[in-house]
Amino acid sequence: MAHAHAHGHAVKRYSGIMDWLTTVDHKKIGILYLIAGGFFFLVGGLEAILIRVQLWQPQNDFVSANTYNELITMHGTTMIFLAAMPLLFALMNAVIPLQIGARDVAFPFVNSLGFWTFLFGGLLLNVSWIVGSVPDAGWTSYAPLAGTTYSGNHGVDYYVLGLQIAGIGTLIGGINFLVTIINMRAPGMTFMRMPMFTWAAFITSALILFAFPALTVGLAALMFDRLFGANFFDPSAGGNAVLWEHIFWIFGHPEVYILILPAFGIISEVISTFSRKRLFGYSSMVFATILIGFLGFMVWAHHMFTTGLGPIANALFSIATMLIAVPTGIKIFNWLFTMWGGSIKFTAANLYAVGFIPTFVMGGVTGVMLAAAPADFQYHDSYFVVAHFHYVIVGGLVLGIFAGLHYWWPKMFGRVLNETLGKLTFWMFFIGFHLTFFVQHFLGLMGMPRRIWQYLDGLGFNEMNMISTVGAIMMGIGTIMFLINVAASFAKPKTAAFDPWEDGRTLEWTIPSPAPEYNFAQTPLVRGYDAYWKEKMEGRSGMTPAEPIGPIHMPSPSILPFCMGLGLFIAGFGFMYAPDWGHFLGTPLTMGHMIGIVGLLITFTSMLLRSVIDDHGFHIEEAEILKDMGGKA
Amino acid sequence: MAANGSSPEQSGRRHKVEGPKKHIVAFVFSILLTFIAFATVIGGEINKDFIYIILLGTAVLQVFVQMAFWMHMKDRGHRFAIIGILSGVFIVFTCVIMAEYWVWW
Repeated sequence: MAHAHAHGHAVKRYSGIMDWLTTVDHKKIGILYLIAGGFFFLVGGLEAILIRVQLWQPQNDFVSANTYNELITMHGTTMIFLAAMPLLFALMNAVIPLQIGARDVAFPFVNSLGFWTFLFGGLLLNVSWIVGSVPDAGWTSYAPLAGTTYSGNHGVDYYVLGLQIAGIGTLIGGINFLVTIINMRAPGMTFMRMPMFTWAAFITSALILFAFPALTVGLAALMFDRLFGANFFDPSAGGNAVLWEHIFWIFGHPEVYILILPAFGIISEVISTFSRKRLFGYSSMVFATILIGFLGFMVWAHHMFTTGLGPIANALFSIATMLIAVPTGIKIFNWLFTMWGGSIKFTAANLYAVGFIPTFVMGGVTGVMLAAAPADFQYHDSYFVVAHFHYVIVGGLVLGIFAGLHYWWPKMFGRVLNETLGKLTFWMFFIGFHLTFFVQHFLGLMGMPRRIWQYLDGLGFNEMNMISTVGAIMMGIGTIMFLINVAASFAKPKTAAFDPWEDGRTLEWTIPSPAPEYNFAQTPLVRGYDAYWKEKMEGRSGMTPAEPIGPIHMPSPSILPFCMGLGLFIAGFGFMYAPDWGHFLGTPLTMGHMIGIVGLLITFTSMLLRSVIDDHGFHIEEAEILKDMGGKA
Repeated sequence: MAANGSSPEQSGRRHKVEGPKKHIVAFVFSILLTFIAFATVIGGEINKDFIYIILLGTAVLQVFVQMAFWMHMKDRGHRFAIIGILSGVFIVFTCVIMAEYWVWW
């Protein structure tokens, strides 16, 4: 029925910057996520370098104590929420619909809305640097410290509202991928034939759906405490400070699995492709992913062993935490067995993937050490913890993202990254990473507390902190080398083949690089796990189509998601300053209120327009598709 | 509107068009329930036990309306929605039980 309306319906197609602001194409949104996430990764990385410069010698005073607190808070918050998650969403957007044989995500408009709310939330958080009141209560923003008594300026307000707005984007992105993976799979693509990255994205999306509401509630409660004088977390008024820790970690622990599961998925794809072997133990991989996702919700209190939960709670959470090592171990062994006997090609992508395995195992081992509650009383709040979570997040997630970027770059941009430079980048980053964080284990065991601004001379910390700073600078150089590689790749023409690695196993390698707007001219028929590899092994050059060539229905571009995000940004900014600025023309409302109301009006008007405008999308006609196919073949 | 949104005839699944009536009824009903709960608390001198009963009652009804109409649990062909909601309920219950009996016992 929609077809009848949409045929011959001229749709407005934009070009240039308007194209990027209005796009609902998952491939372009993936690129937007990559640019925004990459930008925040550089910001967070710069903050990290500044932290390391401050710590390179005892009693250094490169930055003030307060600035140092701001740096560590913004480094953690930016890297987790504004760099790691968007970079994962970039890869998920770029790859998942192609891997399941779909023409787009289930809700293209919502996909765009998710990106813009994330971006404006992230920008709001970083506006704090410009106005000079920066969040400084740690990325965990623990309650008495984050309350108005101890954090009197607007810093924590930026944290609360920025994350709240960015969180909306993440939540709807997660829902979108759940619906996409459930509903949009090509004919024959059963759940147990889905590529491992798709499975990981599916479980991650479910974790987002269940975990982010906890953050939303926690942030809302903290906002009420700060802006409206409530006392959820104020013990002197009957609140409970530990409550914030519980709410934050009920979100926060699943969050680390939200981050690492897609990296597991990427590693599975890369290792299998470059070992030229089917992923070992596919069904046990799926099972392990689901189990990690479930157990991830059951362990939050291991962040709180020293808050005085008592021996029973500590023991039980200790055991639950150690249990996670079992499915994770299954995965590690499956990757090793996938490589065993394969004809391994050490491309840059595969170097990152192979480097990931021992690094992540080291992070996992310190994780089990930390899970032992009595020992944790010694490790708690020391550099040992800093070393542990950087091993799993940088050594796990960031290496996974780099592997994925090298692997799928040709599919995203039609150009292969330079392999030699890619390998050099890997070694620079990898060695820099281990230099930075390996010594931090020992700094922690020697008693250096985390989040300290200065340390005294003569404690034996000097040399290792110096080594750590050198390593951090090497990671910075590695990142710059990656950027040079990216810039160099754009100087070359788009010549990447459909299947540039020649060993592609999954559906994304059956279509041109970069994929056309409609992805698949004909929806493919999937006949087994590793659908493309199966066809190759049976002597066919491509997939069997599941439908004749015909007009393809596409969603129309829209500027409304951008406006909704912008409105929330303005509203958040306005309401934050409501108590500070004077009244508006003698009304009881302040200037801040007025700005906030304008922002909400923009958002709600956009929502209204979205509801009342009947948008049937448009069709790409047969002639255009045949022309594309002829031109590329 | 899905990108390859096949029309009902193509997908072979018959889809009965319901129109907005049920949704409007459900919407009015859920607003009304919210209003009752709010009014009971705001509305001054009422026995506290009575307020609790009203709040609990309206909350249960609200959950029912939300689940049945907005979450489409009354409709056929929503197996995944139900699986999703049940797994969410399962996780939340486990968390609550852990918090209740492990942490604050």
